[in-house]
Order: sequence, then C-alpha cells, then structure tokens
Amino acid sequence: MRKMLASLVSHVFSGVNQKPAMRGLLASLNFSNDTTCDITKCDLYRLEEGPPTSTVLTREEALKYYRAMQVIRRMELKADQMYKQKFIRGFCHLCDGQEACSVGLEAGIRPSDHIITSYRAHGLCYTRGLPVRSILAELTGRRGGCAKGKGGSMHMYAKNFYGGNGIVGAQVPLGAGVAFACTYLGNTEICLTVYGDGAANQGQVAEAYNLSALWKLPCSLSSERIATTQWARLSREQQPNTDYHKRGNFIPGRKANGMDILCVREATKFAAHYCRSGKGPILLELQTYRYHGHSKSDPGISYRTREEVQSMRSKSDPIMLLQERRRNSNRSNVEEWKEIDADGKKEIEEAAQFATTDPEPALEELANYSCTTKKK
Amino acid sequence: MAAVASRTAGLLRLRAAGAERRWCGPRCAGLVQGFLPPGGEGAAQKRRVAHFTFQPDPESLQYGQTQKMNLFQSITSALDNSLAKDPTAVIFGEDVAFGGVFRCTVGLRDKYGKDRVFNTPLCEQGIVGFGIGIAVTGATAIAEIQFADYIFPAFDQIVNEAAKYRYRSGDLFNCGSLTIRAPWGCVGHGALYHSQSPEAFFAHCPGIKVVIPRSPFQAKGLLLSCIEDKNPCIFFEPKILYRAAVEQVPVEPYKIPLSQAEVIQEGSDVTLVAWGTQVHVIREVASMAREKLGVSCEIIDLRTIVPWDVDTVCKSVVKTGRLLISHEAPLTGGFASEISSTVQEECFLNLEAPISRVCGYDTPFPHIFEPFYIPDKWKCYDALRKMINY
Repeated sequence: MRKMLASLVSHVFSGVNQKPAMRGLLASLNFSNDTTCDITKCDLYRLEEGPPTSTVLTREEALKYYRAMQVIRRMELKADQMYKQKFIRGFCHLCDGQEACSVGLEAGIRPSDHIITSYRAHGLCYTRGLPVRSILAELTGRRGGCAKGKGGSMHMYAKNFYGGNGIVGAQVPLGAGVAFACTYLGNTEICLTVYGDGAANQGQVAEAYNLSALWKLPCSLSSERIATTQWARLSREQQPNTDYHKRGNFIPGRKANGMDILCVREATKFAAHYCRSGKGPILLELQTYRYHGHSKSDPGISYRTREEVQSMRSKSDPIMLLQERRRNSNRSNVEEWKEIDADGKKEIEEAAQFATTDPEPALEELANYSCTTKKK
Repeated sequence: MAAVASRTAGLLRLRAAGAERRWCGPRCAGLVQGFLPPGGEGAAQKRRVAHFTFQPDPESLQYGQTQKMNLFQSITSALDNSLAKDPTAVIFGEDVAFGGVFRCTVGLRDKYGKDRVFNTPLCEQGIVGFGIGIAVTGATAIAEIQFADYIFPAFDQIVNEAAKYRYRSGDLFNCGSLTIRAPWGCVGHGALYHSQSPEAFFAHCPGIKVVIPRSPFQAKGLLLSCIEDKNPCIFFEPKILYRAAVEQVPVEPYKIPLSQAEVIQEGSDVTLVAWGTQVHVIREVASMAREKLGVSCEIIDLRTIVPWDVDTVCKSVVKTGRLLISHEAPLTGGFASEISSTVQEECFLNLEAPISRVCGYDTPFPHIFEPFYIPDKWKCYDALRKMINY
C-alpha cells in the first residue's frame, strides 16, 4: 500500500518543480527504503565461493557514496583546472573515473584498517578522512597541505593511510609489512595494498606476494586494472598474463567490476573477512578506467581514442551507475542529488580558495624532517 | 658583512619571487621553454624563468652538415646513427616504442622495426638485467630507464652484475656493449621523484662509466662514444634541457672522447667545475664575477663523472689556485667531495683558498622548495666571492 502510494506521488510530481513543503513530504514517504541490488558475479581464482551477487543499498549509504564520489570527481576536475592555471605544478595523477574504487574499497573495510596505494591517491586520501582543502593545499604546496606542502600530489598521508607513493610497485612490500604488524600486534586489522596494472610487473610485487603467503599476512592486494600502463596500451607486449587476480599463483584472487561501487564494496568486504580470518593474503582485481591520461603531461588519447573514453563515460560512469540503481527502483530523489551536488561544489570551491591563498611553508621547513633527534 | 647582506638580499629576492609565485620581471631574460608543456606538443607556452640560461656553443663545422636540434632530437639522431651502423643494436625500455615520454626515440620503431625498438614492462631491475644479458652475447643493448629516480631497483644489477662482469670472469665475458640512458636532474617542478641526480651513487662503483652532457652537440657525441665504448656506460640526460637547449648539431655520427673534461672558457683566478645543466649556471657566474669583481674564471665541464679527468682539473687549479665545484645532488657524498679530495691531495700547495662546493642541501629533493634548494647562480657567486676574499 505504502509502495503504491509512493509510486503514485512520484509519478504525479516527477518532472514538476517541487515546492519545499512537497519535498519534505516526498522525503518521508518515498525515499527511506533500502534497495536490493544485483551485482555482477566475480571471477574467482582458487576460491570455492566469492562475494555475494546481491546486496542491500540503504538510502544513507547511497547518499554517502554519491556524495563521496561527486566530491572526488569535482576535486579531480578542480585539480585539473588549477594545474592548467599553473597553481599546481609538477606531476599530478588524476583518478576521475575510478571513484567507485576508492569509495568502494573504503566502504568494505573499517576505519581502523590500513591502506597503502600508489601515486594516483587523491580519491583514497579523501575517503581516508583528509578534507578536500588539505588535499588541494598539498597539491599547491601550501602549509595547510596534509604533508605541510612538502610532498605534493604523490605523497599524501593520513591516519592508517600510508600514502601516496611515487615509485611504482614500491608500496606493495610496504603493505605486506603493515599487514605483518597487524598480525604481530594481535589486532584484527588488515592492510589494503593498492597498486596499478603497471606495478604488477615489478619484481618487488612478486616478492611481496611470496612474503604475504609465506607468513599468512592479512594483506588484501588490490590491483586497479585500468588497461593502460602509463602511456602504452596494456597488451601482450607488457605481460603474457593479464589476469591480475591470478598472478599471485598460490594466492587466491577474484576479479570485480571496478566501475560499480557495490561490486567493489562487496568484493572488499569478502577480502577483508578472508584476511581477518587468518587465511592469509588475497588478490582483488578491479576493472576500472581513468578518464584523464596518466599524468598532466599525457593527453591520454595516443593509446586510446576519444570515442573510447566517451563511451566509458556514457555507459560505465560509476556515479551514473549508482544513480541508476536508485532510479530503477524508484528510490531516487533528484532534489537530494542536486543538494549534494551544490554542497559538494561549495566545498571544492572553498578548498580551492584556501589552496591558492594559504601561505607556502616557511623556508626553515626545507631541512625539517630529514632525520629526527627525538628519542623513543 | 657585505657578504651577509648580499646573501640575505639574494634570499629575500628569491623569497619575494616565491611568495608571488611569479618569476618574471627583471629575470625574464632567462625565460626558457620547459619540457612537455601542459598544452601538449607545439604549445608555445613559456614557463617561468628557470635558474639558468642555456648558452649554445659555436657551431662545429668539422663533422659535416649540421641541423638545428634540441637535446631530445640530438639523442634521437645518435640512436638513429647507432641503429643504422650496428645491426645488433636494440633499444628497449618503458614506452620507447611510441617515441618515449621525452620523445627521444620518435620514429625509430617505424624505421628499424619492432624487434629492434620495443617496450618492456615496468621493471627496472629486469630491464637492466636483461640488457646485461644481451650485452654479454656481444649485441649492443641501449636500455632506457624512464627517470634516473627509478634506477634504484636496477642498482644491484648495475653494481653487482654489469660493473663486475669483466673483472670476475678474468675478461672471459663482459657486458661492455650495454648503455643505460636516463633523464636526470631538476626540472623546475619535478619534486622528490622526478628530479634526482644519482651520479654519485654510481661513481662509487668501479667497472662502469657515468657520462652527463651539457648540450645537444655534446650529448650526441658523448652518447655515441658510450654506445661504442667497451664498458657498460650510464648516460644521464638533463631533462630540463630536452627542449630548452637548441644548437646546431652534425647530422652524421661523430664521437666526443670519454673521460676528457672540456675547458670551455680559460681564466686565471678561479676554476669552476660542473656538469650537465649546472655548466650553464656557472657560465653565468663567471660573467657576473668578471663584471662585478674583475675576476677571471676558468670553466670546466667534467662531462665524464667516472673515470674523471683528474689531469685537466688539477692543471687548471695549479694555474688559478682556487676551485669551486657545483652540482644539484646533495652535498654530503656528492661527487664534488671526490673532486675536492683528489685536488687537495694533488695541488695542496697551489691552493689559495679552501675548495668550495656549492651543492643541493642534504634533504630529499623538495617539492615546493625547489628554488631554494638548487645551487643557483647567487649561491655560487657568493661562494666565489668568499674564495676571492679569503
């Protein structure tokens, strides 16, 4: 009965400018329900069972994920704009298109768990709790930046978030080490070690797989497969085996749709549970896509066509996919999305303003923190 | 006192410029084009003033017809000559097939085929190890490491394998036909992992040669020498010069000898030694010294870091009595310390003042602090003045 009434009201008011009072009515009638969503089955490797193929998306979660993804998207686009205006210089690696990965990974673990990733880190920086202003101020090298302006785009850190690492693949053995510390300290925390498909060919990644498996470390090794390595199209030229979730050989793995946040979330929850149960490491391959080139000096269309990028944007955009899920089950409220959009836009503008007006670090900072003389 | 005031003034000027985040105005004379401008190739965007002005050498007519080339084009020309002359030569590295992230290998794959110019996966240790293997069989291996900052995974292969192969096999085997190329040095905005100058790490390793050119003409001749040299060589290319340095470069192959420093300006009062981009900084310092202090500087481009040309440097110091060495790499353990130590051993009684080293600070190469970190002309000038007044 409630459902019928809700859909009737929705039908009557759809497409019509809603007055504020009505908006309140709609909110309480229609949109407090959860959505049960089907998600694509993961490809499994050395696993008897995988993540579930359907999950519940509550209204709160939907709005939270939408907000996070929108903020990340806008933040990356703002960074792009600021780079062109030369407020940001140097190397800047944007992750727009990959929002479902960062938000989904975060949604699948606890705040007390640990994450380490590569230089394409702005999304995870935000989901790990860094405010947008501290991320943008770090990009512009100001004292309000999360690393005091000393690290830049590739070196941003937060509690239980170990960066932001410039050297490809170097973060993977570090992630194994963090996972070891979790076991050693006897907590039930895990380490999510994120890397790209290019890094999968680094020797030290194979070493990290070996160490993790040998010592059954609670390390969830997550490969963000974007099908391009820096400038070159991923191909047999780069490696004979492009199934990253199988590259661990003796380590089980699964492959998930990295453009669908619910898929990422469920796969991550599964991985986290696996690691916490003491079974050792697990590989997660997320098939995702970045809209920009590798960095700001890569136009991103020498190894792929504009049409391909456009097609991904129109068919597989993670934010759009989330909205569609709510829309398809008549759970979406355009006004709510718009409010979130406006709020997010304001947050980014304020952050950008801060990032361009905050002073640069004092000259004394140049030599600070090379070494320390603190005693333990 | 005057020195302090001048130094402070210099720092304040820098700080003021930094605070405005603009480097234009009186220093616009030094405007140079940066590498890979954000607008894409061909965009005529001027970057901010760099810390140096590239000074081309006079055209050399001894090697035949010349063509205007920038640094990356002169590298391409050298590689083209190598592949044409030596049928065993191969070029490999990350993204070299499409032309390379710095355009050094543009057109070579189309011209010589995909079995001679090919991409590798992202694995520096593998790239160098693989290159050593090719070289051991006698073929010519030209490996590219995408940035010198990424060479460290390959450090073991270089130091423990490449450098020791001939020695440990009693000359039965060697990997002399291996050349490793890598973009090197500060670039204005590279921060920690796109700006490093690691030559000193390799100088500590007998068995390899390390070479750094200052200009397109030098780069082509030195690179061809490295490729044909019978020892494994590391060729560092100053990335800030890839587009900024333009000169007339011979089209045909030619070689510039290794382990020979070049006296590019004779003088009588102070010897200035540098390599790569820093040569252009000390050239300007020499002009400033002449104008403001009436001091005559002898400028030496070391060119080969190891084995380095001790004779040329010492001969110069015997004449002038004063030595200033400058490099971007951090002071402690930087190659200036090796030069300084050897020169004081050889020329102790000729020295009129302690040897001066003007280098980067002992910190990681900074992000926002780059203008304060690099040994610019003001720091070098200040050190020179102290030496003169000693």
